[in-house]
Formats: sequence, C-alpha cells, structure tokens
Amino acid sequence: MPMKLLDCDTVIPEREQHVYIKEAGEDTTQFLPVSNAATIPGTLSERGCAFCGAKLVIGGVLKDTIQMIHGPFGCSYDTWHTKRYPSDNGNFQLKYAWSTNVKEKNVVFGAEKLLKQSILEAFDAMPTIKRMFIYTTCSTALIGDDPKAVAKAVIAERPDVDIFVVECPGFAGVSQSKGHHVLNMGWIHEKVGQVEPKITSPYTINFIGDYNIQGDTDVLQRYWHKLGIQVLAHFTGNATYDECRGMHRAQLNVVNCARSAGYIANELHKKYGIPRLDIDSWGFSYMATGLRKVGDFFGIQDKVEELIEEEEDKWKPKLDWYKERLKGKKMAIWTGGPRLWHWTRAVEDDLGVQVVAMASKFGHQEDFEKVIARGREGTVYIDDGNELEFFEVIDMVKPDVIFTGPRVGELVKKLHIPYVNGHAYHNGPYMGFEGFVNLARDFYNAVNSPLWALAGQNIQEVQ
Amino acid sequence: MEMIQQRCLWQFVSRAHDREENIDGVLTLVGILLTGGSPKLETPMDRLHYANANNLVSEIKTDLPWLGHLPKDDLFAVVTGAIKRIHEITVKKSKNGELFIPGY
Repeated sequence: MPMKLLDCDTVIPEREQHVYIKEAGEDTTQFLPVSNAATIPGTLSERGCAFCGAKLVIGGVLKDTIQMIHGPFGCSYDTWHTKRYPSDNGNFQLKYAWSTNVKEKNVVFGAEKLLKQSILEAFDAMPTIKRMFIYTTCSTALIGDDPKAVAKAVIAERPDVDIFVVECPGFAGVSQSKGHHVLNMGWIHEKVGQVEPKITSPYTINFIGDYNIQGDTDVLQRYWHKLGIQVLAHFTGNATYDECRGMHRAQLNVVNCARSAGYIANELHKKYGIPRLDIDSWGFSYMATGLRKVGDFFGIQDKVEELIEEEEDKWKPKLDWYKERLKGKKMAIWTGGPRLWHWTRAVEDDLGVQVVAMASKFGHQEDFEKVIARGREGTVYIDDGNELEFFEVIDMVKPDVIFTGPRVGELVKKLHIPYVNGHAYHNGPYMGFEGFVNLARDFYNAVNSPLWALAGQNIQEVQ
Repeated sequence: MEMIQQRCLWQFVSRAHDREENIDGVLTLVGILLTGGSPKLETPMDRLHYANANNLVSEIKTDLPWLGHLPKDDLFAVVTGAIKRIHEITVKKSKNGELFIPGY
C-alpha cells in the first residue's frame, strides 16, 4: 500500500505524504514518509518548539548549570520540571526555573541590560554555581539582542564563570529537532576541548544521547563501572558542564539517541577521529548486543559476558513473567522519533507485543528508515501526527495501550485507553535489563487497570 | 537482508559517505570472519567495524547456520550481494533527502 490519506485529512491532502502503512515486500526505497518538514497549516500538530529541543531535552539536564532563559517567563516555566531527569547532587537542575522575564518595555527598548542584570543576579544568588547556559527565545531573537556579547562581557568581569549561549528561538526550525542540532553544533565548536579530563581507565567512552530519565544513566553507569570503562562525559544525563567540555579525549562515542545527539558524535569523529558506535539501550537482546559491541571494541569480551549473564539471571525470570501475560497485546508508540525504532522490535522480541501504530513528532527520514526496517507489516507509520489522525488510527488499529507523551496522553485518557508516559516514563528507568522489566510492569499495570473502564461510566447510573 | 536491516544501526547514519564507509567496512569483515580469517585491527575505525561485524556474525551463525557451510567463493558472493543490496536500499535508491547535505 502506498502512502495513506486518512479520511480526516481529505481537506489537507498534503498529509498523505506523512502517513504510511507497510505491506509485505515493501522497503524504504519505495515509500518513506516526508519528515522534518514544516507543519502544514491547519493540522493540530503535537510538536514542541526548537527552543524546547535545546533546553528541555539536552541543556536542562546538566546538574551544575544555571539555565537562563532570555524571554518571557512562560518559556522558562513550560520547559521546567516536565521531564524527570534526576542527578546525584540533590537535583539542582530540577529545583529552579530561571528567566529574564522580558516584558513589553524590553521588547521596545531592548533587553540586553536586563539579561546582564539577570545573569549577575543568578550567579550572586547561587555563589557555588559557576556555569550557565543562556537561551534566546522568539521575542528576544526578534528584537535582535546579542546574548553572546553580553556573556562575553560577564566572563570578562568574572573570570571564574563560563557561559554557553544557545541561539535557537522557538521559530528557528520546524520542530524541537532544530534545537538539538543547534545545541550540539554550538557545543562541539565552542566548548569541547577546553577541559582536559583526568583519565583513570585504559577504556574511555562518551555515552551520548541519554538524559538520565528517571535514572537511565544510573543503570548504564553501573554497567560501565563493572566493565572498568570510564565515561568521560554522559551527554548529558547526570553530567556536569565541564565533563562535557572534555569529550575530545574519549576513545569511543557510544550513541543511544542518534536523533538528539548524533550530530556531536559525527563531529567528534570528524574533528578528533573518535569512532561512533550506535547501540540500543532498551530491551534485553538489543542491550546485550550493544554491550558486546563495546566489549569487542576494547577487547574485554569476558567481562561483558559475565555482566550479561549476571543481569539476565537476575531480571529474565521477571521479564518472562510479564511476557506470558502480555503476549499478543497491541501497542502504539507515539513519541518523538528514536523510541519508535529503539522499541518496536525490542517489545516484540522480549514481550511478544505487536506494535500496530507509530507516530513521530520530530524524527527525520533516517528515523523512518530505521523504524520501517524494524517495524511490522500492517503497522501505521505517521510523521507529525495530528489529533484527528490519532482518533482515526485508534479506530483502525485498536491498541491495548499507547506509549506517548503527556500532551497526546491527555487525549488518549479521555478515550479511556490505557496510556503510559513514553517520554518521561511512568515508573522508570526503562533502559538496561532491569529497565525493560519496569517498562513491562507499567505496560501490564496499564492494560489490567480497571480505572480506564470505570472512568467511562456515569457514576449516577452505576449507583 | 531482513536481519541486517532490523539489527544494524550502522547502515542508517545521517550522511551517505558515512553509510558507505560503514557498509563496506562492516560487511567486508563479516565475509572474512565467516571464512575463519583474521582481520587486521590497526585503527580505531578497524576496531569499530570489527565490533559491529563480530556481533552480526554471531547472529548469522545462530539464525542462518547454513551460511557457514557454504563454500568460500559462494559465501563471498552472498556477502558481495548483501553489500550491493544494502548500498541500494540505504544510499543509491534511498528516498532520504538528507543523505547528501554537506556537513552534519
């Protein structure tokens, strides 16, 4: 079947190029959804903005860094605390929202003085913190403020601080993907190479594209530690600003989220000759393969096999308990992009689940190449799905559970369909062996909860 | 082909030149490893391709054991065919509009 024009899209026929249903014998040389393209006016897109991609996804994770949002306070508030990425220093990054709180008068007269005052106030209020990200937003970009000049002036006045400026206002790209790109490229060109890390192991890596969602980094860090591998920088889960300035000394870049951070891995390869190894950190089989590849690279295969055996002995019986009970369940994955391809085979192989629909908010065509290669026939693949399309696809494929974000999750809840937070997780971590058991548990709890049906009853009639 | 497409992320990196380097590097080593050869591992990229190839070979031996019993020439023909087909799917006939963008 070629690209699919859903009934709800007859008035927006361009949407046909964004929806695909895979049939037997087809591959991505025949059909590939258009993606990373501007949202078509008239659709109820669920996308985030470019600024959000830089701040909420990557920069805001750093545990020792003030995140100064140069704009109206809403830009700061709306990207604060909505994703759960803890740290081992008391969650500094989750406790505060920083903003220059730009008003109309600043739009008229300029906001650079306000920015400088806000930077100094923030450093003064938090004297142990010496690192800062500054983000432009739509309003301060449009009035032409120059935050890099302001940051330079502050660094000249206070040589003990360092500041990184992300010039990626919300309108800079078609989705949050642009924010990932701008932050990656700015960081590699302006900050990497400025700090020399202390090397304590013959095996060094950067672990790229993991943001410690509910402790993902902690799980993976335990594995690296057991293998004797030193992680110079997690980009950016539980990481410090200066750790990420020392990425140039690693022997290998291990990449999990290729969409949000593949850019910096590519640049580290080009600039410093560090190879890029892409792995899947979700799912038993894929996680084991990823670890084995790292083991082969460093010649530490025995240690890796020992670790895998230990982890599988501990967690496989628990996973199998859920597999028995989830076999044949139908799942939809409507997340950002990479989790579609990270998860679709993993849940099928490890849990016997069928993934019947997948939608990506900000994936590029390379993400669709991966997911269509891994996904099932008959499955619906959607780029930048809109609300009406979600309603129609639910009727078509009748999923037992939908893994998605809070925005689409609210829609799904109103239909009384089990929903699990596929972005920030319900009860994670989801990475690694134990993480996939957590995912299975949340899946099982969702499809067996009586609440969904009860929520649809008229309580007056029931009584 | 299905196994390579489903299991191997190295064929799907962002740009055509990186895909080509990975496809040739990994699958050439797969042929050497399947025929009992000893690959040279002199550079970091050699070790990267080896890591990817060795894991693919393990999966081939488990899921496609007949491949290991082919005569050497036939096996190299299969690998050469796989290299050609993966190049077609992921580079030459790919509909991915970002493969040839300069820079990352």
